[in-house]
Order: sequence, then structure tokens, then C-alpha cells
Amino acid sequence: MKRKYVRKLFNTRKPYDLEKSNDVFCQAMRENAMHHYKQCPDYKRILDEANFDPKSIACMDDLINLPFLPTLYFKHHELFSKPLWKMPIKATSSGTSSGFKSKIAMSIGDLWRGFKMIKRIFSYHKLWSIRPVTYLIFGYQPTKHSEAGIMKTAYGFTYVAPAKKRVYAIRWSKENGYQVDLDYMKAAFIKASQQRTPIRTIGFPAYTYFLLKEMKAEGIKLQMAKGSKVTIGGGWKQFYAEKVDKNEFYQLVHEVLGIEEKNCVEFFGAVEHPILYTDCDYHHFHVPAYARVIIRDPDTFKPVPKGQMGLINLLTPMMEGTPLLSVMTDDLGVLHYEGCECGELSPWLEIIGRVGIKDITTCAQGADDLLSK
Amino acid sequence: MILYQGEILDNHYQKEKLGTLREDCYKTLQVGDSLKVQEVILACDKLAQKFKNGDFDELIIPLLEEFDIPYEFFISNIPMFEEEALNRKVEIELGKDYLDLEPLNDQNSREVHPLGILFHIAAGNVDALPAYSVIEGLLAGNINILKLPSGDRGVSVQLLSELIKIEPKLSSYIYVFDVPSTELDTLKIFAEISDAIIVWGGDVAVKAARSMTSVTTKIIEWGHKLSFGYASLDAPDEELVGMAHHMAMTNQVLCSSAQGIFVDTESRVELDKFADRFFNIFVGVNKSHKPIPFVMKSKNALELYNEKLEQHLTHKHIWQQDGISVITSDDSKLELSMLFRSIWIKMLPKKQIIKELRPHKNHLQTVGLMTSKETYQEYVDIFVKSGITRITKGEDMSRMIIGESHDGIYPLKLYTKIIEIEK
Repeated sequence: MKRKYVRKLFNTRKPYDLEKSNDVFCQAMRENAMHHYKQCPDYKRILDEANFDPKSIACMDDLINLPFLPTLYFKHHELFSKPLWKMPIKATSSGTSSGFKSKIAMSIGDLWRGFKMIKRIFSYHKLWSIRPVTYLIFGYQPTKHSEAGIMKTAYGFTYVAPAKKRVYAIRWSKENGYQVDLDYMKAAFIKASQQRTPIRTIGFPAYTYFLLKEMKAEGIKLQMAKGSKVTIGGGWKQFYAEKVDKNEFYQLVHEVLGIEEKNCVEFFGAVEHPILYTDCDYHHFHVPAYARVIIRDPDTFKPVPKGQMGLINLLTPMMEGTPLLSVMTDDLGVLHYEGCECGELSPWLEIIGRVGIKDITTCAQGADDLLSK
Repeated sequence: MILYQGEILDNHYQKEKLGTLREDCYKTLQVGDSLKVQEVILACDKLAQKFKNGDFDELIIPLLEEFDIPYEFFISNIPMFEEEALNRKVEIELGKDYLDLEPLNDQNSREVHPLGILFHIAAGNVDALPAYSVIEGLLAGNINILKLPSGDRGVSVQLLSELIKIEPKLSSYIYVFDVPSTELDTLKIFAEISDAIIVWGGDVAVKAARSMTSVTTKIIEWGHKLSFGYASLDAPDEELVGMAHHMAMTNQVLCSSAQGIFVDTESRVELDKFADRFFNIFVGVNKSHKPIPFVMKSKNALELYNEKLEQHLTHKHIWQQDGISVITSDDSKLELSMLFRSIWIKMLPKKQIIKELRPHKNHLQTVGLMTSKETYQEYVDIFVKSGITRITKGEDMSRMIIGESHDGIYPLKLYTKIIEIEK
């Protein structure tokens, strides 16, 4: 099947122009729904049971009725719309309290689209750099022992600027498996501050936060080379529990590492929705043109009125390997339409927290488990 | 946070205090005039009055809200910590004659004494539980070392330090440390000083405690328990109404909360008919209860949606309205529900009860029986042999009665010993 519209969508020059991309987004979704309907028997069954004909997608409102798949469903079922051997990337989510992980496969086309998206968004946010940097990664050292998507993402990020060196906080050893070693990271920060190469940190905010807090308590004040950035991703879940304000985090980064707030960049994405959300200068996650967000009422699953909290449903026609076109996350959030000082008109997504009390675990939670070991 | 001889200290004093702990505990045993049960009871009574006056509302209300426990329910249970109730608890558990046991013979007397030093490893699922465990240890006259659960928010330390303020003598009987479960060497020190380890929590916690204990220290386990309802097809509506109230009130979060209902039938058709009947009652009853917290309602909505996507494989039947739900299936497996008023209803014919439940023997707590008056005793006779430790009516599953056992056992009995003394 020709993927005319999705190609057009991922070639867009304005990565946050939702208004103008509505038509092509809708057509791309139709195209993608028809592809999965044809190629993935389980997806076909789900649509049939809901009496939904993918050909009927004609406008944005039709996407509300397109049956969504909860991330939970991917943890128990493998849905692929291409033979597995044809797909170079198989990623899993970082594990859950139930021990199940989502299995997602990406085709070459999916990867190509992902690459175009990252290129465009990083250019928009001025993240590309030709100057080599030292990467300090608060995440897993890539080995054959884990297929966690977050690890692949983190590794991928280390090509955004040429890597002089990569330092990992969660390292693999034969004896102990993956172990967190924050002291090692601390030493790496101190060493990096004495050099002229800028640093980039990547990884879970919780780790970064705990380490910086400890360094502050020890009276450590560093000045990283100009051009250094702190990038975080993987969720703020622990912060809700600790009631730590994001601003406090930025202040901490400034105090301990001498890196300014504007050089703190946060990313958000999920294995089940591999779209890159990057915060703007005002730390808002604007919805990129490659995706749409519907906030749904948990009682009816109908969209909530603008500005109200509900379940976050993420849509994208990006993937042909796995039917991820409408995925319901375990997160509650609000979609803000009131505009943003950065000038971007695209609404921005505020993630309030996870559903349930202490249930389905995220990447960050899995990491938290390692921390509390 | 550390509580050491009445002082609240920062965690970095831990090393220093660990160095003196053994000596200080032994000193209390050696020279202290031993703790009287009445002293503990009076201190608890005064603390209970403070609760009644609302002195701790700021501390307690957020916790109650988190678990969706009504404030009135909490207040109605405070009398459990008042003088009269605690005296009754001690008398029931240790016997009315605990201060004056009948001698063995003319030459040999018998006395009830505390074990000595208890090491409490508390679970993190209920915030005030660690403090409660210590209070039970105190009632038996013991010195108590408490390891706080990870993620503890300081409620236990606050409660215990209040108790010490009321009765300063308790200061040398309460030691609280904030040691992570990984600091095995420290935990081994606590275990080694203590006469017994009191472990709250799942099987994992119990196993961990076993691994750090020498044979000279005994382990007392208070594990996680599951409870459920059991109904015969002729159970009258009022019994089902009672169960529905219990389910809506406790949201399946307590050890004693029914996770679901087993029905005495082998027929899926009869089961679904019963489920339909119960669900209609449940929907009605639910209207008189607090709404389900948004985050839990959302979690269950997703899980139920997922169940529906899998229905072609599982053959489950789902009833769902107003955020509550009932699911029937073909199996008889005892399991946790989705919590917060999304419960299961399964078949369990009378003749299968022992076979299905015995494998869970150490994890069972309460069964809420819904049967006709005539057959009630018949079911009681089976359940007493199933591993269950409480049999109640549906609506009374989580009621608390002064002097009732803890999962079938009296803790104060376990925390004390009888010493025989020849004159």
C-alpha cells in the first residue's frame, strides 16, 4: 500500500502546525488504519467488534470513534502488521509491576519516519551540535541484556552531537547485572567540570534530581563548559510523590552544575507512542504535527471539555510495524489550548500523573526499584 | 528520621545510635523498673483522646483520603485505643489472671513476662501500622525496635513520639530507625539484639527476615491476607445488600475486604444470573457511598476496557456502570480484584471449597457468608476447616471488635512468655 499521506505528514516543514496538517493527518490515519486492518488479524477483530470501518475516517471527529488500544493490551498481546524478520527494531517498555512488557516492532519505514521527525524537531529546538560533548547518561548501558526502548532512545540521542565520551549510571556487570552507581556519575560530573568539553546529561529526571540534591548537600558547585545541556526524559512520577516543583529542579541544575534553565530540555515519549515531545522554552510539551492528543473521560471515554483532566489518548499514523495509531496511556493529563508565551499555537500536554495508586509501573518506576534496592 | 529515647533525630545520627543501641536496651532490661501494662494503656488512652479532639486531623485526614476511608469510620474506631478496650484486649489475649497466674504447685509459681526486645519490620501499605505494631509490643511490656518501611512519611514517628511525651517512661522502650532493607548488616544487628522479629508484609518480607535471623531469634509473621464473600443461590437480598455496602465502603483495600464473591453453583448460567442480581443491588447501594477517586476510577476503566478486548478469549462477562463493575468467569481462582468496587464473582460449589481454598491456607482471612438462615451453619462447618480465620456476615467483614484475634492468633500471647520460678 502506498503511504502517500504519512510521507507528506512526516515531511512537514512546520513541526507544530496542527491546523494546517489536520487534513493530511486525518488521511494518513485512514491510510494507516486500513493497513493494520488488512495486515493484523487481531486489530481487524477489534475494529470489527466495534463496528468501525477504517475507510470511514474522513475528518478529525472520526478519529474520536476509532477504537483505541490501551497500553495494557500491548503488554499481553503481540500485534504486528509485518513479518517480524522484516523489522529491524524490536523494543520493549521498561517493564511493569505485573512483569509484562509491551513488545513493539518498527519497520525500516517507521525508523525512517522517526529519523525525519527527530531531525526536524531537534532543528526546531536547536539541539543539533557539531561540537563534541561528553554524554552523562542516567540510564542503562546498552548491552544485549536489555531491549528497553528507553535505552535505545538514550543511545540514539548520543548522536545529536558527536560523542566524545559516554558515561552510564546504570551499568552492566556479569556478577550483578544492572546496578545503579551514582557515585561514579558524581565523579564523572566533577571531572567533566574541569574540562572544556560541554556535557549533555540524558535520562530519568529522578536520578538526575537525587544525584544533584546529594551534590548540593555536599556543597559541590560546578561550572560546566558553555554549551552544556541537561536533557531529561522518562517521566516525573517520583516528583509527584515528592512534590518537587520542576522549577526547583531547574534551580538545582543551575546551582550545582552552573547550567541555565533554558539549557534544560525535557522529552516525553513512550514505546507505545514513539513520537518525540520536546518542551519549549516555557517547559510546555506542545503536540507535534505527527500526533494528536485526545483527553477522554474515564466514565464514557468521550473527549472531555477543553482544559479538563482525563485519560491521555495518543494518536499517530507513524508506525506500520505495530498498530499504534490510537493508544490509550495509563496517564492522566490536561490539554492546554490557552496559548503559550513561546508563541506556538499547538496545544500543550500537561501530564498530571498515572492512573491508580501504585500500579502499572513505568520506565521511571523500574528505575526507582533499582534505586531502592 | 530516627526516634531514639524520645528524641527525633536526623538520619545521619544513625551510625552513632546504632553503636549504643544494644547497651541502652540492655540497660533498660537491667536497671529499669519494668514497664507496666497500665502505664501503656493510660498513655494510649490519652493519645486516643487527642485524636478524638481533632489534634491530629492535619496528619490523619490526608491518609484517610488517600485510602478513601471515611473520617467518621476512623473516629468510630478510636475507642479501640481507649482504656476500657485495651484492658479488655489484654485480658482476652493474656487471660484475666495474667497478673496473678495460678502457681504450678506449692514450690513453683508462674509469671507472664515480655519476651524482652522486639524488632518490628513494618509494611508500607498502611501508614500508621508500624506504630500500631509497636503499641502491641509495648502492651506486652517489650522494648521495641522499629524499622520504618521505605517511603514512610513520618506518621509513625510522630505518633510514637506523642506517646512518649504523654508517658516519658516509654522513651527507653521505643527505638525507630529508617534503615533501607538492603542494609543487611544493620538489620542483622537489630535481629541479633531482639528476642523476636515481627514481620508485616508479603511472603518476600518474611523470607528476607528468615534469611537474616539466627536460630536464637524467633520470627512472628503478619502476612498479607485475602478475604471474600460466599453466597448460596438462595441468599436473601438483605444479605447481598450488606455485602454491597461492605464492598463500597472498604474498596477492597483491607485484608478483610471482600475481593469478590464465590457462589455455590456449578452452573455458569446460574452464576451470571446471580451476578446480575448482585450487580443491580450494588449499583443501588453504591449511590449512597462516596464517589470512587478519579485516579482509581480511571485505572479500572482502562482495565475493564482491556478485559472487553480480550473477552473473545476469556469468556468473561462484565457488568459495568457508574464506575463500579462485576466480572464473572469460568474459573474458581481466589485472586485480588481490580480494587475500588470492581469485583469478581466466581463459581465455587460447596463440595469444592476445601480443595480450592486449602492451597491458600496462610493467605486467607475473612469469609462473608450470604446464605439462608437454615443453611448458615452448614457452610460455617466447612469454612472452619478451609484455612479461614473469620466468618462473618457480608456487611460485617471489616468490623473491628475489641479482643478479636489477629488472623486467628493473639499477638500479645506471642509477644510474652511464661516464666516458672521455684521459690
